Amino acid sequence: MESLKLLAPLAWRNLWRNPRRTIITLIVVSIGLWSILALSSFMTGWTGNVRDSTLQLLIGQGQIHAEGYLDDPNIDHLMPEPDEELVAALNNPAISNWVERLELPAVLQSEYKTLPVTMLGVDPEAEFRISSVPGKVVEGRYLNDMDDDSVIIGLNLVDRLKTALGRRVILMVTGADGSLAERSFDVVGIFDSDVGFEDTYVFTGRNAMQRMVKLEGKISQIAFTVPEAEALTGVLENLSNAAPDLDVREWRKLSPLLGMMDTSMAFAVYIWLGVMMVMVSIGIINTQLMAVFERIHEFGLLRAMGLKPGHVLALITLESILLIGLGVLIGMFTAALTVWSLSDGIDLSAFSQALEAFQASDIVYVEIQPTDYIIFPLAVWAIGVVVALWPAWRAQKISPVEAMRHAT
Amino acid sequence: MKIISRRNTLKLGAAALLFPSVALAQDPVAILDAAFDNWRATSSHAVMEMTIRTATGIRNLEMESWTLGDDKALVRFTAPARDAGNATLQDGNRTYVFNPRLNQVIQLPASAMSQSWMGSDFSYDDLAKSESVVSDYTHTLLQTRSSGGHKVYVIQSIPKRGVPVVWGSLVVSVRDDYVLMGQDFYDQNGQLVRSMVADRVTTLGGRPYPVQLTMSSVATPGQWTKIVTKSAEFDVSFPTYLFTRSNLQNPR
Repeated sequence: MESLKLLAPLAWRNLWRNPRRTIITLIVVSIGLWSILALSSFMTGWTGNVRDSTLQLLIGQGQIHAEGYLDDPNIDHLMPEPDEELVAALNNPAISNWVERLELPAVLQSEYKTLPVTMLGVDPEAEFRISSVPGKVVEGRYLNDMDDDSVIIGLNLVDRLKTALGRRVILMVTGADGSLAERSFDVVGIFDSDVGFEDTYVFTGRNAMQRMVKLEGKISQIAFTVPEAEALTGVLENLSNAAPDLDVREWRKLSPLLGMMDTSMAFAVYIWLGVMMVMVSIGIINTQLMAVFERIHEFGLLRAMGLKPGHVLALITLESILLIGLGVLIGMFTAALTVWSLSDGIDLSAFSQALEAFQASDIVYVEIQPTDYIIFPLAVWAIGVVVALWPAWRAQKISPVEAMRHAT
Repeated sequence: MKIISRRNTLKLGAAALLFPSVALAQDPVAILDAAFDNWRATSSHAVMEMTIRTATGIRNLEMESWTLGDDKALVRFTAPARDAGNATLQDGNRTYVFNPRLNQVIQLPASAMSQSWMGSDFSYDDLAKSESVVSDYTHTLLQTRSSGGHKVYVIQSIPKRGVPVVWGSLVVSVRDDYVLMGQDFYDQNGQLVRSMVADRVTTLGGRPYPVQLTMSSVATPGQWTKIVTKSAEFDVSFPTYLFTRSNLQNPR
């Protein structure tokens, strides 16, 4: 402890005896940490953006289906509207909104073309609260109520069918008894989303659809939103208990691709952390090793003046603790500054065509992840100090005799 | 409902025959009913030739057809050898196709009904739904013109609300002896999409009949499908098995 008191100021002063070398190391460490933190912030913002925009379209944080529906989404796997027990469970305060939908494969026909689609019978009032689709209507209006027997279709579908707002289209659905239900619907609204979504979904009032296919009281799914990610597991359990014969799933199971993306993005940050750590380590070892060779005379002198090898080791380690610690602080500060300067969101509208495929919105909001700002700097600092032990180890082996013999 | 209206129409038709000067036939529904009655009768058996002009060339097919009432029809191709044996059966609102090479009967899904029938400008819907025009649309008499010593009624038909019809309107021309002279299909913007024209009318099976029909689409100028009826007999009786799936696959 006594020796630390002596060595600490010495180490600090040593750092600034060669400012250029110190600054180079500082830059290496701070750029490394800055890139890790900035990347992590961006990745988190980006995946959050993609995840939220996708989940807000239709999926929600979870859905309830009849057993077997997800394996074979057809008319044989429908479920009744929720009973009192399930409604009570759905009115759990952790669930902000829930909505019932009837979803069936259908065929959409215009004067010029016939295309396969997925027909969704919705409750417009609830959809306004839970889904972003009503807000994506660019022409016309969204559906008025559950009895609204008009349709909302996607922009790309309008082009492909050569139809337009206010025109009629025919929807054909195979009914429960295998017979064909078909009728015409007026196009009252057109929504603009990504092309895949636009080509797939056609929306109409749920009651109107149930009457058309003679499936009164039948639904395909209940979607619900849970704003607090931590509450989701409890909500799922609660719902499963309330409806033991139904299939309750969270969004990661409903959209495995999205779930995988969510985890793989975090993984990408760790890969970058690994790459940056190797770079930073090479930088540290290189400069510190050079420093040790340049300072052979100095270490010999210190030893001759009575410092033990352990003291030399401690001195160099202290120097690297201070040096890397300072670099880490600068890196944290610049990363925080970068994130703060982008707090209005990064506008990616120049790439919106490409982004549409991810169903991401044009603006990515980056934010400081508190855990990242603890874990990553500590990791860089610890690993940096550990790799700097090797030059320190070399330095403590230097004897006064060896130092005297060493040609400058 | 449909049967009653048909019976009424027959009465109207009879009245029109007895008193040709009576303007009863001005009712567009009655005119259309009489025209379809003239076209398919209660039953019909015909031998036809179909010529398809496409962008790549011309095809000639021969076929034999049987119809019973509004909702049963069987068409069997007889030539050329490549297409012979192909058959289409309409039974109510179901349509089946038989392909001899696959030796399989397929019930057409709704999505395929609007597709081309044997590569022609006709669709399966034209086969299956031609009669529903009378009940699915509201009809107004646009004009009466004269052509070749006959009066021709031009009737505009607009689909009723909710009825599964893609067209904005149809314009059907019927001659005063109830020969279907043409049918134009308009989209909902009033643009002509396709039209069918009776090019030649002669007496066939004891009645005036549009023996040559040409269907063409506006989108494919220079391409058309022509159906020529070589011979036909009407109001004949058929064995009951004729319009069954088993007969479609294994003709007796």
